[in-house]
Amino acid sequence: TVRPKNEIEQKQLCAFGEYVAEILPKYIQQVQVTCFNELELLIHPDGIIPVLTFLRDHTNAQFKSLADLTAVDVPSRQYRFEIVYNLLSLRFNSRIRVKTYTDELTPIDSAVSVHKAANWYEREVWDMYGVFFANHPDLRRILTDYGFEGHPFRKDFPLSGYVEV
Amino acid sequence: CFVQTTGLVGLAVAENPHERLRILYTKILAVLQNIPKDAAYRKYTEQIVNQRFNLVQTETDVQKLQDKLNGGQIEEVIVQAENELSLARKMLQWKPWEPLVEEPPTDQWRWPI
Repeated sequence: TVRPKNEIEQKQLCAFGEYVAEILPKYIQQVQVTCFNELELLIHPDGIIPVLTFLRDHTNAQFKSLADLTAVDVPSRQYRFEIVYNLLSLRFNSRIRVKTYTDELTPIDSAVSVHKAANWYEREVWDMYGVFFANHPDLRRILTDYGFEGHPFRKDFPLSGYVEV
Repeated sequence: CFVQTTGLVGLAVAENPHERLRILYTKILAVLQNIPKDAAYRKYTEQIVNQRFNLVQTETDVQKLQDKLNGGQIEEVIVQAENELSLARKMLQWKPWEPLVEEPPTDQWRWPI
């Protein structure tokens, strides 16, 4: 069986994506809607705080809840890490995904000033991938052991690690 | 009759919400005047604010105003207006209506690789 296509929701998401892209042309590079009706905004890394504040505070887009903050490692690209923010709007019952890019050495602005929930998520991304967040209140390791060296979720980190246990 | 509580934690009942909303909406419109006229943010936000402002001015009963605004409790509408005001002030500094800062490298957003 195939999931039935929800054309109305897709049109609404497309319309909203165009609305946001019209308001913030300085930072939004691309907008796409997946076949499962998920809206994604692809952002330049300078625009994280403006875009997240806009999505949180604007009346038509009250995405007050940060559901997830992760990173994706694609080593073949020039900017290998793709930082993904998943936001939820309780007022309008809708979700949106915001994606940015960075490499190992360029810092990214911390989202803690916009969403307090980003604190531990950013610590996890730092620990697992090595992405540095500027203006984070307390960026240190959260899941790895105290003397652990390396960033485990990177694609070039071996499955059973470098140290024998 | 007097409403004892909003039902939401941390939000006190607002006495004289019409006055508060009037002040907030005038402040937002004043901040928006400084943005260039062709910016989409200014256009859409002025539309929203004027719509809500008219509703606030025409409807004096709080319950009916809540239903017409369709934005939750009137105290939540006040909080949302405060957020919109702080957002407008930050937009003045960020200027997001300018053209794109930098194009992504080719293949940055290609998926599957």
